[in-house]
Amino acid sequence: MALDIKPDALAAVLARTTGTDVQVTRIDALSGGASSATFAVKASKDGADWPLIMQCSAAGEPAPGAMAKRTQARLQEVARKAGLPVAETVAILEAEDGLGDGFVMTRIDGESLAPRYLRLPEYAAAREAMTAQCATALARLHALPRSAFDGLPLTGGSPQALLAKSFAAYRNFGIELPAYDLAFAWLKERLPDTEPTALVHGDFRSGNFIVGTDGLRAILDWELGHFGDPLEDMGWLCGNAWRFGNWQKPVGGFGEREALYAAYEAAGGAKVDRDAVHIWEVWGTLRWGMSCVMLVSDHLSGRVPSVERATIGRRISENELDLLYLFKHGSI
Amino acid sequence: MSGTPSVSQLVDAVRLFLAEAETELSGRLAFHAKVAGNALAIVTRELAASPEPAERAALTALTGHDGPTAELRHELCERLRDGRANAQTPGLVDALYAAAVAQVAVDNPRYATFKRATGA
Repeated sequence: MALDIKPDALAAVLARTTGTDVQVTRIDALSGGASSATFAVKASKDGADWPLIMQCSAAGEPAPGAMAKRTQARLQEVARKAGLPVAETVAILEAEDGLGDGFVMTRIDGESLAPRYLRLPEYAAAREAMTAQCATALARLHALPRSAFDGLPLTGGSPQALLAKSFAAYRNFGIELPAYDLAFAWLKERLPDTEPTALVHGDFRSGNFIVGTDGLRAILDWELGHFGDPLEDMGWLCGNAWRFGNWQKPVGGFGEREALYAAYEAAGGAKVDRDAVHIWEVWGTLRWGMSCVMLVSDHLSGRVPSVERATIGRRISENELDLLYLFKHGSI
Repeated sequence: MSGTPSVSQLVDAVRLFLAEAETELSGRLAFHAKVAGNALAIVTRELAASPEPAERAALTALTGHDGPTAELRHELCERLRDGRANAQTPGLVDALYAAAVAQVAVDNPRYATFKRATGA
């Protein structure tokens, strides 16, 4: 079990990967979900403090259909070496370590709570900088050739296949939400049926960034990375849920769409088709709505009894309203 | 005033207790106390004004007949799935929008889109 990793065992792994003396004094759980767990690791290397983060598959091995942490670590390294702000991987747990599936990366200082960096005055300059920084990071990621990911077991499919999978999941829950059916049908008429052209992050949004007063310092949570349409990342970043109330700033609660598109194109990204990216915003709204359905089902089915999961079911109506607002007004 | 607290008064008393408990807690427990308080606020609002009549009125207008809400909802979803109804169907988006506004008024009246929709 990942939760049982002892400081000495982890120190031995870090000594192996760094070839130097590493001490680990504490491992503290930061957050745990159904599939993965994150830990703060207090370590020192050659006598100097070396703060680290460890991520592990919660059951020791990846849940069915979930990306292995050892794959996520390698994907993050590809992105980091391509110039994206990503924490450096310092160790991947190997089978012979007997510690399960996981990896260790450097801990990057900064604010990860979006409501704080979106509102506090000391992050004003960061908010100014982040639209261009996000655009540049996405342009670099989307420009990587498929061969950059050789050997990594990553999934992918056409946008229509993505939609069909989500609709099947919706029907499996046995619930009926007219706004969702409306959106599924609307997207079925409009999403392309093209093969993937790029590696997309899959969860690129406010809430998955570490932000300093200078702006974007690290992009987190790469476990939904897959081959797909680059506009998926652009539309998701502009979802209303990720503005955390700053609805006037459609890009993550901090920026304007046209500035994002222009910076993306200037950084070498493909020209952004404005109509096509709007379709991906509608998809993003429905996708977050489906996440709420899945999270509340954890509670309702008894799998993960939790007041937090139960209450998230009452956020389904927020997504219904957002979808209907989109159809009524053309944009949100 | 019978001296017996109503259901909504009991719920409100528990909500006040959770707010007090939250100040003594930290981390995950404090967060869950906050969420539990939010859940009770939803209960209080729904006890005061159920959103169901608004949804039923919308579905009655869209299907052309009255009936149990779940059956009307099923009928409309079937129409949307087989293409008999879509975003261009006259009145459809407006009627569902009104029902969604009534639901969010109970679930989260602080939600940005609710405020935009109602001018609050």
